Amino acid sequence: MTKISRRTLLRGLGGAVVGLPILEVMLDSHGERLVEASAGSMPTRYALLFAGQALGGDNYEQNASRIAGTSFTEDGHFIAPPQQGTGYDITTPLQPLADLALVGDYSIVSNMRIPFNATNADGGAVPSGGAFRDFHGGGCSPLLSGTRSTAASFTCNGPTSDQIIAQMCAGETTHRDLVLRAQVPFYLTGYDHSGRQYISYTGAGSSGRVEAQTSPRNAYMALFGSFVPPDDLEAQAILDFNLRSRRSVLDLVGTSRQRLVNNVGSFDQQRLERHFDEIRDLELRLAATPPDATGECQKPADPGQDPAVGGDNPGSGSDDITSPSTGYSGEHERARVMCDLIHMAFVCDLTRVATLQITAFQSHMSALAVSQTLGYAFYADLHELGHNGDVNNRGQKAVSLMLQWHISHYAYLLDKLKNTPEGAGNALDNSVIVFMNEAGHGLQLNDASSLWQTHSVQNMCMLIGGRAGGLTPGRHIRTSGAHPAQALISAMRAAGNPGDTLGEVTGIIPELFG
Amino acid sequence: MRDLLGDDTRPATRFLISDQYTPYDNDISLQAPSEALITSLEIMAGDVADRLVADVARRDAIVPCTPTGPGDTDCLRQFTEEWVARAFRRPLAPDEVDAFLGLQAFATEDNAYVAADFYTGVNLIVRTVLQHPDFLYRIELGERTDSDGVLALNDYEVATRLSYLLWATLPDDALRADAAAGSLTTAQGRRAAAERMLDDDRAKLQMRRFHALWLGHRILPQSAQLVSAFVQETGALIDRVIFDEPQSYYGLFTMRETYVDNFLADHYGMPRPAGGAGWVAYDDPMRGGILSHGTVLAAFAKFADTSPTQRGIMIRTRLMCEEIAPPPPTVDTDDAPGDAEAVCKFERYSQHREAPGCAACHDGMDPIGFGLENYDMQGRYREHDEGLPECVIDGSGALPSGLGTFSGPSQLADRLIENGYVESCVMQQFYQYALGREVDDIEQPVVDQLVEDFRAGGHDIRQLLLGFVTSERFAHRRELRISP
Repeated sequence: MTKISRRTLLRGLGGAVVGLPILEVMLDSHGERLVEASAGSMPTRYALLFAGQALGGDNYEQNASRIAGTSFTEDGHFIAPPQQGTGYDITTPLQPLADLALVGDYSIVSNMRIPFNATNADGGAVPSGGAFRDFHGGGCSPLLSGTRSTAASFTCNGPTSDQIIAQMCAGETTHRDLVLRAQVPFYLTGYDHSGRQYISYTGAGSSGRVEAQTSPRNAYMALFGSFVPPDDLEAQAILDFNLRSRRSVLDLVGTSRQRLVNNVGSFDQQRLERHFDEIRDLELRLAATPPDATGECQKPADPGQDPAVGGDNPGSGSDDITSPSTGYSGEHERARVMCDLIHMAFVCDLTRVATLQITAFQSHMSALAVSQTLGYAFYADLHELGHNGDVNNRGQKAVSLMLQWHISHYAYLLDKLKNTPEGAGNALDNSVIVFMNEAGHGLQLNDASSLWQTHSVQNMCMLIGGRAGGLTPGRHIRTSGAHPAQALISAMRAAGNPGDTLGEVTGIIPELFG
Repeated sequence: MRDLLGDDTRPATRFLISDQYTPYDNDISLQAPSEALITSLEIMAGDVADRLVADVARRDAIVPCTPTGPGDTDCLRQFTEEWVARAFRRPLAPDEVDAFLGLQAFATEDNAYVAADFYTGVNLIVRTVLQHPDFLYRIELGERTDSDGVLALNDYEVATRLSYLLWATLPDDALRADAAAGSLTTAQGRRAAAERMLDDDRAKLQMRRFHALWLGHRILPQSAQLVSAFVQETGALIDRVIFDEPQSYYGLFTMRETYVDNFLADHYGMPRPAGGAGWVAYDDPMRGGILSHGTVLAAFAKFADTSPTQRGIMIRTRLMCEEIAPPPPTVDTDDAPGDAEAVCKFERYSQHREAPGCAACHDGMDPIGFGLENYDMQGRYREHDEGLPECVIDGSGALPSGLGTFSGPSQLADRLIENGYVESCVMQQFYQYALGREVDDIEQPVVDQLVEDFRAGGHDIRQLLLGFVTSERFAHRRELRISP
């Protein structure tokens, strides 16, 4: 019998205390959970990683590329391999997964498409679950929420998959969700994100948007600031003092609620109510007992100060990027830390739902710094790389290399979960981790006639990782034009969501479950 | 934060959502609290307060007394009454002060691991303020008047309005003294305060800031050296026309000379100024005023060149205050326009003129931009398209609806002035900036009256600002209902 502290025992018996870690001592010999009468199995985690780019370059077929000034045709760069099932060829974007021996831990779902009306571009003519005929904005709502878009704006018209799962798990953990974004500014001089920075919605419209945390350090402090070694009495006492004083501060802020809210107009009232609600929720989170750092649940290394926020690109993002330090804020390091945090937040059961928007929709992050780590030099931003690239680099391989970089973060997270023992298996067995990107590569959505365009909702792919809920990963599933929301519905089902709809889309990808 | 605590690390840049420009960065309908924001704010407040109490010089600059010990209530009370009132931009009620003093219990706590320390109380009060709506938002309560839905602001609320309008920061000691004396609810009191404030450099910075947001050059896609020179050039013109040699605001658009240093003079191909920096007369007759500046000409570029369409949109929306419908969805605006086979830019834009579905709108935009085509995206004069001597730029332009033709920035400014756009549109834009939201129908007559006053006063911005803050309206607010 492993020794168990009185504090842990009390918490375990309490059942309702938030922030309960999965303790080895509470599992039976088969790795099933012994305590917590309401739950018969391990908590299931749902994470969604997003890349703000398409799958191929404008006017380049899937085997056509130009790299370092040389044009060539070569297969193997488009994400979906030619073979289906297992044993497929590893394509350029998937290489980080193969490098970490994760090929058996995710499935590729390919050849998906969002419907659109090729003969009528009016908002009223958009089919159910379909895209308004304007990229980029038109693809946002059907992709993330399964609900049709009727205008060009980057706004979902219904809740997104992660928020449906978060609602399902509400109250089970200290943090309802963990919504993160690695790309900080928009980087295109003279413009701003204007909605491109959201992939998480609690409901329809701009009021449903969930603001992402973009500071790795702040995310770290919010999740793990209260973790101190249980046997360090001094650290415990200082923590106790700090938490009490911080709560008193928040409490004092809250006392002015009535005075202010009752005396302003309705618009300011809503804003102030929200401010005070968030202050109160923060106070509750600070009051929640943090889990002991026990077993696999350990305080992650302090990420330190955030990488500096970079300035805008010096020009329009094609050929005129000359320095790796503009249009870039250390997104690579930011995304890595955020994956570390998602991993440990899941392992410590601080939250069960996470989203990481690695890059924003229509991302203008400079590709230079990242391409240099891969042995190339793309003098373009991510968005331009898909269109005009720079004069020497464009087309399928250039786009796929940047997709590979995005997927390297996905691979990093899968690997960490897989290498975290949990019960009889590992944490990835109890997780479903989705990788999605913004667009496919095919018929242009706007004109419905140009071929091989990045502004396309055809030929879309997703990666569904983990083994939660009966997922049987390891395959390439080529659908016959499934809606991408169906891949999300499948992932939601794996995470325990009983329904089979997301917005206006119904049905799962059955092959994901064997 | 800098003015209140002497903290110039700009700590909020780490987490604040990036501004959205409509074109101003203060649109209230786009600013909402969220879990991410409040979480980050609490962490930042802790960082800032910890840094403050660790920095004895800065700490002593805001704590007005030397405490006798951790439990010196009088000293903490004095700090609260002075510093918190400054942050809240109003005096505190006695029960509010007492509530803050409750935090002193942490300073005196008998704790084996945490030493008693007076400045723990200061730290916690600073944290509270930095998360407090009274500090974070400009909340105007006011008192009901006989008119339905109209509320009279108190002196401190008026002081805050004045200060953020003219200086973009919180009231200074003198303005707070004016408020305490009750003079800001009178027209003459506001005029006196505003006159003093307009003589301060902070007013210059604020006017530069307004123009940069309005005309779209807060950030420019050019090298830091060039941007800095451009910004200096435009700033000097704004300072001169509004503050240093007060004159008709039209001077901003018609000035026949410009402020350059040797670097910028060489860049433009102008004679160098005497002494390395100064005013140099234009020898190019097509140049004149702010529309000839690199700030304006470098903005609104696209596809690595000037964009006649984008420049046309800029003139129509920012200087004529007109709306332009978005392009139809079937147009992919990420694609450069027109026929890729055409060599010269004017020909590449022919589709905009010739396709019936395009011309209806583009005829109101592109001809404006083509009238500025002799000036590249770095503000330099050019005879022909970049690297294409055969593509000689015609450089003639036209405003829509028969409002006149022009060649180059100077004549464009003349056409805009003649047609009354500058005087009405700058008022519209400034009022939107002052409100932090779009002007609504009820307020439109106010703007129209301001335009009248502006015209009657010889387009003197300084007089107009004084008239604006002196008006009764400035000391009142209307109950606002807009949907988020």
